[in-house]
Amino acid sequence: MRFILCFLIGCMPLCSVAQNDISISFHHQIHHQKLILNERSRISPQSDSVIITTLKYYISSIQLLWQGKTVFRESNSHHLLNIEESKSCTFPLHTPKNIHFDQMEFCVGIDSISNVSGALGGDLDPTLGMYWTWQSGYINFKLEGIHPKCPSRKNEFQFHIGGYQMPYYPLQEIKLSIPNKKQIDIYLQLEKLMANLDFKTQKSIMIPGKEAMDFSKRFTQMFSTAQ
Amino acid sequence: MRKGIIYIALFSFFALVSFTSTEPLFHVPSGWPKPSYDFSKNTLSQDKINIGRALFYSPILSKDNTISCASCHLSFTGFAHTDHDLSHGIDGKIGKRNAPALMNLAWGKTFMWDGRINHLDMQALAPISDSNEMNENIAHVVEKLNQSNLFKNLFYSAYRDSLITGERTLKCITQFMLTLVSANSKYDQVMRHEDTFSSQEKNGYLLFQKNCASCHTEPLFTNNQFANNGLQQDTVLLDNGRYAITHIASDSLTFKVPTLRNIEFTYPYMHDGRFKKLSQVLNHYTSIPQHASTLDSQLQKPIQLSANDKVDVISFLLTLTDKEFLYHPKFQYPKKLFSQSPNGL
Repeated sequence: MRFILCFLIGCMPLCSVAQNDISISFHHQIHHQKLILNERSRISPQSDSVIITTLKYYISSIQLLWQGKTVFRESNSHHLLNIEESKSCTFPLHTPKNIHFDQMEFCVGIDSISNVSGALGGDLDPTLGMYWTWQSGYINFKLEGIHPKCPSRKNEFQFHIGGYQMPYYPLQEIKLSIPNKKQIDIYLQLEKLMANLDFKTQKSIMIPGKEAMDFSKRFTQMFSTAQ
Repeated sequence: MRKGIIYIALFSFFALVSFTSTEPLFHVPSGWPKPSYDFSKNTLSQDKINIGRALFYSPILSKDNTISCASCHLSFTGFAHTDHDLSHGIDGKIGKRNAPALMNLAWGKTFMWDGRINHLDMQALAPISDSNEMNENIAHVVEKLNQSNLFKNLFYSAYRDSLITGERTLKCITQFMLTLVSANSKYDQVMRHEDTFSSQEKNGYLLFQKNCASCHTEPLFTNNQFANNGLQQDTVLLDNGRYAITHIASDSLTFKVPTLRNIEFTYPYMHDGRFKKLSQVLNHYTSIPQHASTLDSQLQKPIQLSANDKVDVISFLLTLTDKEFLYHPKFQYPKKLFSQSPNGL
């Protein structure tokens, strides 16, 4: 008995050293200013002001790399980020201690296997408003707002980007150089996503297809580690 | 010592008897293919099946608590909506397609007439959310369930945790649907050498195998594929079938091949319920106009059946009726469970 106890106590520091949390925070900005929902912002000095009402998206398959090689792969790596709930934009990565990394890789969206795996829980629970109901599949990225040029009711625009079947599989992989620190800050610059969007013609994407695919290519440009 | 051995022997005997006499929650009928559903991701339990049954029969899934799954899927008629070409949902609104019969869903790969649903777990989301059916959303359903003492107790007994989530709700509905196995019709009994076909049924079976079985493949009586069976498009509904989902030209006017099990009770037939009688269905298949561009290759050469042949085929189709399935109390309205809180509300 005493032996078992000693053994367990002996193991405890091992367990606690074995793991080390890194915190990842996603910050959402327009021209390096914090994005505030339901308030006016300008995408470019010449453009009309835009109001963002919803920004929700999935970050998945997070990996850390050192000199081009994967040194850490998060398990069950699916995070729903909703800027309405700031807590959802910061989360820990349970990594081994003393891990060295200089790059981070992640996807925007949900992979095709998870899309065909039935009902899932946690951030993938279909009650979270990121699952289509009229046909199966996750919405990877949801951006909604108001732009005066939108020829729609109340000038609203909605971009619900998703799909899991080739050739329209808009899962986008992002690779960023990051400092080897315990706190990783990633900035999403929304003006890069919305640059050159013609709101007169593009006001809504609600189904998987070529348009969603083209829109998703913008994701690769919008993340950076520079504030 | 000897007494001890006798006790052990007696105990093992009773243990064995009680073990073997419990009906399994699900079993694959002999000779049937492996189910498509991955049971390892949603292990069946009687408690969860009971929840699924309660959810299936409770109008709590609809916005105004008036429509349940069973409103359009009636157990006595193979879970089809007999006598309704199109079904009526919330506020009497009429849907666009015929409510399909529900059975042997564990072998289904995709769901709905156009296969838009890729997994049985996700199927219930479609009618729950459709504005013509239940006009509700799953987040609100889960909120209502979390306020219901009946459902909180049921989920607690199944999960040892009364928290109801979307995932658990959908998986429980799936569990009930998985148990809807129909495999004890006269046809099945004949295949198991427990019964014999009449000569008319036998002739019908031979004609069926020759003319129909390439799509309505035994033992499920569907190949789970999509086909254009030559129906003229309804000029009001303008339903393009699977094309609306895939946007692939060759999918235009194709629909899921439905099972024929319990076909005696699942009328009216076809995706828009246009045929009330089996004779009309057979008359259609022997007189398909050959101009439809995506007409299924199996139907390019017209099916030829004499009037007598058709009667024989129908007599065979009637052997697919499975009374045990249609009248089994475990598939019916959970009277006892709902005795305290009517309809689970």
